[in-house]
Amino acid sequence: MKGLLIHGVSHAYGDNKVLDKVAVVVPAGELVCLLGPSGCGKSTLLRLAAGLEVLQEGSIVIDDVTVASNTVHVEPENRHIGFMFQDYALFPHLNVLDNVIFGMVGSAADKARSRAMEMLDQVGMVDQASKHPHTLSGGQQQRVALARALAPEPKLLLLDEPFSGLDTNMRARIREETLGVLKEFGVATLMVTHDPEEAMFMADRIKILGSDGHILQAARPHEIYYHPKHEFVAKMFGLMNRFDSVVVNSQVETPLGSVAAPDMADGIKVQVLIRPEGIVLESHENASGTAVELLSTHLLGHDNIVRVRLASGSSSELYVRVHHAFEPELALGIKATIDSDYAFVFPLDVEEGGSSSLVKAAQ
Amino acid sequence: MVELTSSFELEFDALDQDHQKMVDQVNAIIKKIDAGNTDDCKALVADFVALSKRHFAREEALLVSVHYPDVEKHRKHHLDLNDKFDHMLEFAKMAPENDMACESLKKELVYFIMDDVITADLEFKDFLSQT
Repeated sequence: MKGLLIHGVSHAYGDNKVLDKVAVVVPAGELVCLLGPSGCGKSTLLRLAAGLEVLQEGSIVIDDVTVASNTVHVEPENRHIGFMFQDYALFPHLNVLDNVIFGMVGSAADKARSRAMEMLDQVGMVDQASKHPHTLSGGQQQRVALARALAPEPKLLLLDEPFSGLDTNMRARIREETLGVLKEFGVATLMVTHDPEEAMFMADRIKILGSDGHILQAARPHEIYYHPKHEFVAKMFGLMNRFDSVVVNSQVETPLGSVAAPDMADGIKVQVLIRPEGIVLESHENASGTAVELLSTHLLGHDNIVRVRLASGSSSELYVRVHHAFEPELALGIKATIDSDYAFVFPLDVEEGGSSSLVKAAQ
Repeated sequence: MVELTSSFELEFDALDQDHQKMVDQVNAIIKKIDAGNTDDCKALVADFVALSKRHFAREEALLVSVHYPDVEKHRKHHLDLNDKFDHMLEFAKMAPENDMACESLKKELVYFIMDDVITADLEFKDFLSQT
């Protein structure tokens, strides 16, 4: 198979095991994203794939050639891999063109120059070829880094938090451009990030790494967001509202209504995690649901974050994301219900006390 | 199209043959979609799901018989894949009318067979070679 195969990879620094039997497949032309909190081992996996660290256990195969195993270690320069890091790693003393040419060791000078110009043209930087990196914006530097990574026609591209050094607006634009270029070139790409939105935007498939170095879930972005298999995965996308309850007749009752728990036995203690967009507020005359009191509202532009609590007297706060125009001054008799697409039921850790509360993001 | 190269072999005939049959079925579906013949996608994907479930059952029985220590973990992994079957069947149902469903179905099948099934099985390759 063309692309990357990693399997059975475990890795430790002293007694600290950071990867535990991790497996990843990246077919040619696909972008797989490793998403996880800081310190979960995702950058270590990238460094192992690159050959920057010696593999301790498992196997790494690129385009059907084993580049790392317990008996093989192909040096990084012989793996035909391109890299892109968050700090761009451009050489400050070389101009843009020479930075791109630098990666094409062994190519004839005129051929390397022609290829470098072609790549700069591809990323919209051909007009800046004679400039030095310090005169460029962060986004332009990242474009040059992409051109340099792709110029030698790598079999595999490794991206380590490639957009985290860019401001919000620039990041959105550069990642869209980068994705377009990567898809056009059809190179297998493995990207690591701690930013769930970035992973959702870029990836064909996301692999979630837990803090213990295990893969917790591997799926397309839609499945990760709407069908998380693990509470850690559900919590990766920001604040969650939580109610603790018990399964009865494959249903879980919460103060805002019931949620289905079809695969769980009756009597199991569970936590129901509801995304802020999974609580629906209505304030018209015929609104149904549970009465809530408004505590505050925060307009973010594309949506509102509204803090409420149950009118029945619970002190617990709930966070609600409202996508339509919402003026609290004009809202009376607000009722809340659950949109079950955004509600997930997980067994309650036996050591945890029961409660209803907010859950902070996992990262 | 998916090619089952040596890197993906468990070197255990019964399971490698199962994997090859599943790969062949995936390739048959992709070939049909690429040819614009999506009418029987739903039936082909249903066959693939049935084939996969039979493989899972055979594999679990084998792992139990050789006392593979992580058999429960692998069984749970198989159970977790049930949702993916549902998604594949939904995409297959939509395939005749929706190009994006066709593309997503192809992608889902490739990742399923290569990443979720075969690469996950490579975890017990060494164990099987010692039994």
